[in-house]
Amino acid sequence: MKVYEVFLKKQGKDEFRHVGSLEAANDELAVVLARENYVRRAEGELMWVVDRDHVLVGDEAFIAPNADKPHRHNDGSVVAERRRAGRADT
Amino acid sequence: MTSLGPAERAVLLAFADDEHLMGQRHTEWIGVAPFLEEDMAFASIGQDELGHAAMLYELVISDLTGATPSAQAVDALAFRRDPADYRSCWLVEAACSEWATALVRHWMYDTAEALRWQELAGSSDVRLRDIAVRAMSEERYHLRHADALLDALAGDAHAGARLADALAEMLPLGVALFEDPLGAHSAVGSVVGRPLATLTPEWRAAVDRRFGSRTWDSIEAVDQAGRTVRSAQFATVYADMREVIMLDPDATW
Repeated sequence: MKVYEVFLKKQGKDEFRHVGSLEAANDELAVVLARENYVRRAEGELMWVVDRDHVLVGDEAFIAPNADKPHRHNDGSVVAERRRAGRADT
Repeated sequence: MTSLGPAERAVLLAFADDEHLMGQRHTEWIGVAPFLEEDMAFASIGQDELGHAAMLYELVISDLTGATPSAQAVDALAFRRDPADYRSCWLVEAACSEWATALVRHWMYDTAEALRWQELAGSSDVRLRDIAVRAMSEERYHLRHADALLDALAGDAHAGARLADALAEMLPLGVALFEDPLGAHSAVGSVVGRPLATLTPEWRAAVDRRFGSRTWDSIEAVDQAGRTVRSAQFATVYADMREVIMLDPDATW
């Protein structure tokens, strides 16, 4: 048995979203079983089923350094505060 | 108000009983199917068959009364008849306690069912055409499901041997599905299409394509006496499906 990841897309501008995974003996069974396990109540209009082995993984150590970069979370509040202070001075 | 003749009603009621019993038997695999994903899929297919049965029962009743039937009226037809009044074939009554027989039966039944709905899809009665279109959209999935499982198991020698045994066990029941119900022989025509018996060659060809060709003459159909006799295994499914309604006749589901 192989593991497959299931993605669904609802109508409109929503993107495909991961909804879960399943085990199946082959690709055809994966699609067939995903239909009743994840879309039997019309949870989506389009379905992607992906063999987990085909998912490209960026490993944790590779992406971890980006967790410590607060300067990339600038919401403009510091600049806004300085400008407010500048207006008050004049 | 009645627009269905007695023979046509007999055909539809027998089909409804087949769908009903098939759905009931499939649901016995809830919780014990070979793996979780299949559990969900098979139960869902069983539920579809129960839905087909309900549509046909409703049509038969509304045709007689001219009104939309109450849930109790449909329940009465589905659950409260005497065994002798059912017209199900023995294939759907069988208790398949092995997954191999349940799977082979699932494929056999849905292959036959697709042929039956195709006939009704050409009906001169628009109510039947609508039901058939709905059912066929679901049947496409049922058959793909059965084929996908059989394909996956085909390469395994152990599974292949068990499926071959299951096939041998179920074929006498499978060929009997094509016995028209008592009183249906005059129903050939624009409403219900060809008699069941004439669909046999197409079904046998499909079986041969799926499982390899065989000598059909050597397979003797069980004798259902125009579907008027229930098989020995009917009693268990009859008791199970009536458990709730016998406790509470007005139960709402």
